[in-house]
Amino acid sequence: MLIVEQLLNALALAGLLFLVSAGLSLVFGILRVVNFAHGVFYMLGAYLGFTVVALTGWFWPALVIVPPVVGLVGAVLESSTLRFIYRRLPIYQLLLTFGLALILEESIRVLYGPTAKGVDPPPLLQGSIPLGAIVYPRYRLFLVVLGLVVGAAVWLFLKRTRTGLVIRAVAQNAEMADCLGADVARVRTLVFGAACALAGLGGVAAAPMTTAYLGMGIGVIVDAFVVVVIGGLGSIPGSMAGSLIVGAAQTWGAFYLPETAMVIMYAVMGVILIFRPWGLFGEEE
Amino acid sequence: MTRPRALALAAVVVLAVLPWVLVRYQLSILTDVLIFGLFALSLDLIMGYTGMVSFGHAAYFGLGAYGSALVLIHFGQPIPVALLAGALLAGVIAAPVGWFSTRATGIYFAMLTLAFAQLLYTVAYKWRDLTGGSDGIAGVPKTTLFWGGPSLASPRAFYFVVAGAVVLSLVLCRALTRSPFGRALQAIRENERRFVALGRDPRPFKLVVFVIAAVFAGLAGALFAPFRGFASPEVMFWVLSGQGLMMVITGGIGTLVGPIVGAMVFILVQEILSSYTEHWMIFTGAIFVLMVIFLPGGLVGTARRLASRA
Repeated sequence: MLIVEQLLNALALAGLLFLVSAGLSLVFGILRVVNFAHGVFYMLGAYLGFTVVALTGWFWPALVIVPPVVGLVGAVLESSTLRFIYRRLPIYQLLLTFGLALILEESIRVLYGPTAKGVDPPPLLQGSIPLGAIVYPRYRLFLVVLGLVVGAAVWLFLKRTRTGLVIRAVAQNAEMADCLGADVARVRTLVFGAACALAGLGGVAAAPMTTAYLGMGIGVIVDAFVVVVIGGLGSIPGSMAGSLIVGAAQTWGAFYLPETAMVIMYAVMGVILIFRPWGLFGEEE
Repeated sequence: MTRPRALALAAVVVLAVLPWVLVRYQLSILTDVLIFGLFALSLDLIMGYTGMVSFGHAAYFGLGAYGSALVLIHFGQPIPVALLAGALLAGVIAAPVGWFSTRATGIYFAMLTLAFAQLLYTVAYKWRDLTGGSDGIAGVPKTTLFWGGPSLASPRAFYFVVAGAVVLSLVLCRALTRSPFGRALQAIRENERRFVALGRDPRPFKLVVFVIAAVFAGLAGALFAPFRGFASPEVMFWVLSGQGLMMVITGGIGTLVGPIVGAMVFILVQEILSSYTEHWMIFTGAIFVLMVIFLPGGLVGTARRLASRA
């Protein structure tokens, strides 16, 4: 029964990873920007989640309020800095987001201090639940479900709505979409904000499991980079596949070879890149 | 004498005179500037001249620092042996990492180098028996110049070793960028597809320059360990990789001298800000964001453009 338990652990971790990497991938697909600050938005989500829980005493409002707030912060930063340098080489955009990451990370340190902030899960999700032969923590099951629901929602939004159609058009050819009357600047801001909101949601969801702590941003961004490199930048199914692979590698690695769990993740990535240098679902640049 | 040559000579004279003018604290900052200047300079080789942006360059700085610290602590060899050991260790590890990473280009390359650097950081953090884990290796001695030679324990003596190593590296890197090999790198930067169309394979070039850059970064790290007296996982952390990128961009990408100027500006700004606030990172970040938006050529690049226009 150990195998079922670990499978669920891997899925819960994959759910969190997906919330973060989907936004990273989306921003790359549409803005052609690798957002180094993405992990910091995840961290911001966790800390804001702590604040909302501390103020209201409830977890659920945090899950609803925090993502839009984080998204708004992202949208404001995009339209006040990144917007001006889309014409430059991609590396300048990466470096700019690196500067933003420094500012945000240090601001959070100023506001919240250096100690980690714990967040209690809502009563409904506390404790464990019998699942056939095993007993499993409810909160992790919630993460599995959350990852699946958000994944489906993002995918349906992109494929089935008119806004999703415009976003995909901008991803394919921004100039052409512009000529056909799409407001490209607005689409970029919207997508950047939405991606940050997803990262914020991930942060709120992670907080009860990992607490909110400084440095959680860089930890998650490195994992998310590995996820999108495996899955292919700009692809939502790729993010999902990558999250599952990394979630599995980390879960089983941590169990069987605790000292070298990280190495396994990179080994898997290395093998995949030998055969598919652009990731499983990526397209050659 | 041409103007660049006169400037270079003046810079060497200033570097030679400064240790007799500066007080101890200032001299230690200057040594810092040179060490991190060398680190940024090595990053400029791959970033400015070949167009490969590494987000994990600190790993090689860190490997150099550990290599040199271990040699000095356990074997008490002269400093040049430690420098060689640090630089070699960085180069040896960079070879397989480069082999993997150069399979990808652009953003993928940046992410792969970051991932490998974090992996090396984790190894340094976990391998307590060798690296001392999070405590690192403390008490690294500044030994001698050669076997039975003069001691380098005084700040001034060690400064001259650092200055000598940095000037020599700058000269070597400059020669490298002007060699046929260096021209090929710049051709790859300008148009990799065309380079392939001309019948050349860019990957060996990229791999070799990646290893060379790692060797110079390792040399910088190998100087750092005896200078500060320790090596700890922080010296391979991603923050340092990012700071290296900042120095290159601030000083001027693809100029070699620029990154050293960038290191000077970065370290001085940090010194000044940190005496007012412990949260200097916010301001460094803000300055950096403004630099990226308004001064893409960096200080040296912009100065050169203005000079050539005048």
